[in-house]
Amino acid sequence: MCPALLEDDERCLGGTTFFARSHPVELCGSNGLPLTPNSITIYGRSQFLKTIEHSNLSTYLDIIRSKHERIVVVAEYSGEPLSNRNNLSLETVKKILYQCLLGLCHINKLGLVHRHLSPDNILITKDENVKLYNYGLYYMTDSGRNVSFPIGYPKYLAPEVFLGNNPNGVKVDSWSLGMIIAECLLKQNIWSGVKLAQCLRKVLSLINSETTIFERIARENNCLKTYEALPEVVKDFIDSCLQIYPSKRKTPEELLQHTLFEEFLKKDLVSKEQKIYNSVTARKMDELYYLWQLAGGDITMELKKQGLIRSRPPILSVPNLVVLLGQIFGRRDMAGLLDLRVVKVPLDTLRQRLCHIPFTANYPRLMNGTHIQAQDNLTRAASQLPLIIRERDTEYQFYRIVLYERLLQGYPITRDAIIREAHKDIPPLVRGRVWAALLNVSGDIERRYQMIDKETPTHTDRQIEVDIPRCHQYSELLSSGAGHQRLQRLLKAWVRDNPNYVYWQGLDSLTAPFLFLNFDNEARAFACISAFIPKYLHKFFLKDNSAVIQEYLGKFSQTIAFHDPQLANHLKSINFVPELFAIPWFLTMFSHVFPLHKILHLWDKLLLGDSSFPLLVGLAILRQLRDSLLTSGFNECILLFSDLPEIDIELCVKDSMAMYYKTPASITYRSHQLDQSKATNWIDPEPGTEKMPRISIKDFMNLLQNSKQNVIVVDLRNNIQFERGAVLGSINIPFTSVQLSHTDIMSLGPHAEPLANNRDSIVVIIGQHDQNNALFTEFLISCRVLRVCSLEGGIYALRSTAPHILVPPR
Amino acid sequence: MVVIMVTMASRSTAQRPNGSTQGKICQFKLVLLGESAVGKSSLVLRFVKGQFHEYQESTIGAAFLTQTVCLDDTTVKFEIWDTAGQERYHSLAPMYYRGAQAAIVVYDITNQDTFVRATTWVKELQRQASPNIVIALAGNKSDLGNKRVVEFDEAQTYADENGLLFMETSAKTAMNVNDIFLAIAKKLPKNEQTGSAGTSGQGRRLVEVEGQKTTTSNCCK
Repeated sequence: MCPALLEDDERCLGGTTFFARSHPVELCGSNGLPLTPNSITIYGRSQFLKTIEHSNLSTYLDIIRSKHERIVVVAEYSGEPLSNRNNLSLETVKKILYQCLLGLCHINKLGLVHRHLSPDNILITKDENVKLYNYGLYYMTDSGRNVSFPIGYPKYLAPEVFLGNNPNGVKVDSWSLGMIIAECLLKQNIWSGVKLAQCLRKVLSLINSETTIFERIARENNCLKTYEALPEVVKDFIDSCLQIYPSKRKTPEELLQHTLFEEFLKKDLVSKEQKIYNSVTARKMDELYYLWQLAGGDITMELKKQGLIRSRPPILSVPNLVVLLGQIFGRRDMAGLLDLRVVKVPLDTLRQRLCHIPFTANYPRLMNGTHIQAQDNLTRAASQLPLIIRERDTEYQFYRIVLYERLLQGYPITRDAIIREAHKDIPPLVRGRVWAALLNVSGDIERRYQMIDKETPTHTDRQIEVDIPRCHQYSELLSSGAGHQRLQRLLKAWVRDNPNYVYWQGLDSLTAPFLFLNFDNEARAFACISAFIPKYLHKFFLKDNSAVIQEYLGKFSQTIAFHDPQLANHLKSINFVPELFAIPWFLTMFSHVFPLHKILHLWDKLLLGDSSFPLLVGLAILRQLRDSLLTSGFNECILLFSDLPEIDIELCVKDSMAMYYKTPASITYRSHQLDQSKATNWIDPEPGTEKMPRISIKDFMNLLQNSKQNVIVVDLRNNIQFERGAVLGSINIPFTSVQLSHTDIMSLGPHAEPLANNRDSIVVIIGQHDQNNALFTEFLISCRVLRVCSLEGGIYALRSTAPHILVPPR
Repeated sequence: MVVIMVTMASRSTAQRPNGSTQGKICQFKLVLLGESAVGKSSLVLRFVKGQFHEYQESTIGAAFLTQTVCLDDTTVKFEIWDTAGQERYHSLAPMYYRGAQAAIVVYDITNQDTFVRATTWVKELQRQASPNIVIALAGNKSDLGNKRVVEFDEAQTYADENGLLFMETSAKTAMNVNDIFLAIAKKLPKNEQTGSAGTSGQGRRLVEVEGQKTTTSNCCK
């Protein structure tokens, strides 16, 4: 019982397995790198199959690599194979035929040929609908090049396949379908009991047939009577499939126009309209598979249980003979390379897990606050758990996926709600689309991407070419040939699309997460990177970016000093400047320093912040290493970053969020950032001259109004000026009275005590001269006072914009 | 006797294999320069950790590692700056080679352009780096001999003309990797504890001779 997933849903998973061709060992490609294992090539190539959606095609769900170049393919498996059905009526056969052709036409349009058609690979569901199965094997193995076994059932293969004559044409499927249907109509297993070699001979002997091939087959199998009883139109159809010469044979698309199907074509128009009301299937198959895995489902285990994967003692895998060139003989039983069996796995595990969830949960209403509240209540308990646990909780993910699917359907109108939910977490299954929404990607991105020239050679090609095979290559996706090609296209497109920018090493790492998440949607990946760079890395990819980087790193130093003066003092004393370690951090938004799974969690939150957030991430990383840094000299510190130790990314994200909310926007303001909306009347000091950040008058006024208890104002003017009018509650420390060489805050006297005890407040320095302000703030850092900044424009700014807050203190 | 101490320990006094502490400790700053993807990081990784990664990721900015080698009674500690190869990062390079006592300029023997680039690095170092810097030229990827484009003799001649140490190396097979660092260590003046090289009489003389050579060869061109 599982209402949430529909009671009568007959959808199951099918698992199959085969081995990719293994390369002779120690073989190098033209670039000196080892050849990509064929299983990786297949893995990358097969990703496209997952995007194919058609009512007559089984959906591909997953491709798994395992030991010794083994590939496990997971696809939808609904109904039972045609080979299990006997005595089909002519009407049923026609319907099956028609739907097979619809499926074939669809894959043909996408550039695929089935090439593996057989009664085992045509599934018939309860309501007599067809789902073609295994149509991707020929495609994913690059027309069989990446495997050592032949693809296709000899009995159903077109003769030209054996003769190597245009074996890729879509017409091979027409032949196979003709043979399969002929068998159905003759109600006889043709050439039964014939051995493989004889079978090939049989097929090839058809070339010299004097009658039509259909008739000949009927004669050979002693069922001429059945044949003669068939309507002419059916015979004519089979004849147009079973033509020896491909030029005379019809393509699936042409076959669909056959008079046999006239009634269906008419019916289709009607049924299409009906279908609108029929599609109550709530969850898509890829979601079900994802949740099934979370619920403990494991297709490899199922294959093992059924004996499709048998573990053998390693000694049996040792080759019998290895020649000097590296070729291996006798390592594996060739017959075991492709297992034709399919393991059918019902989704029971998932059903049990979700049995108490009502069907209506599939349709959350998000019209008003109450409904949103109700949705929140469902996941409240789980939402307190650590992120990694939430991501593995079947039920929680079910609710989250349902909700996000709903929101994403309504995007861009629902963007605010998506942002709100993203603050909680983003389900891995929908991450790619959610990121695009967070980055405000919309419009006809496909067309835009298509219009960009990604082919013309440019002078950055060599650099891109050498960088790609080094970019996150531990990832199966990114190390596959398909991954390389896609990354190259994306990078070339970006460079082409941004003529004012150039390719800097690091752009590859930066693009990788977007490709990883949108592997089958390059246009979306491109739209994401195109939106991401201006937001976080505005002007970083200028040919001369030194001013931009310098400003950024200067701001980073200030941010460290602002939040952690003690650490800043130490780093300064050992001359450990961010220039030496932080360039790859910021230029790639940490994508060059962390593995993908960490980047995903980091960027989940990064995308919710503005361009200053990365500064705080950088600081959070330093603070995780704080103890080591504080006790180390220059060499140890820099070594720490050449070999970045394990960073707890969830903690890092949490810390940076906390600091982000405690940092007024103007503190991290940069003149090179894209968003200049808050930068009115801002006069920047010379880069590098001030160790501490400035705060804008607007942010200062905000703080005074909204969290006065969290501000300590220090007035640097002399007593007389101070007495005339100052910010209420401010401390007067005349600049001339300060001994800058001291490093103890109490040297200023008892009224400086709030500074020494400061934990959560922001210390704002108001003075008359920028230079003195800077000197005094530096003095405060050396005294380890937290969160010190000086007021932009000092007392003059205050007088001109908010004179009313200056009152005589007594 | 030559012993490579496989250790990243960077402080501490040099420990000889038998545990006794003796001899001088010299510290040298070494920088690796060269075109992208010629194997700079791989050479360092092989030298420092004895490892090799086929898919060594690209270096952005620079990376820093240390390694200590023992030369007879002297312990030589290298502070190695491994720089980004992409031409665009060029502006950062001076920060790393400034004050360096040694440099390894790397090219890829299967790619002529990388050799040309190496020669421009050498010129830049001769012009801008400390006058007595020890420069070594490394023709990396020598394991790919069948794809060789840059001939050994061509590089050797160039190295001789410019007074460079020269070896063909392979980070993959480890061929000549330790040797090139040791050759540099031998050539560096070791009269001072801290190793701010150049002021010692011997070291200076050695380098001056080369400096003259360089000038003459430049004049001839």
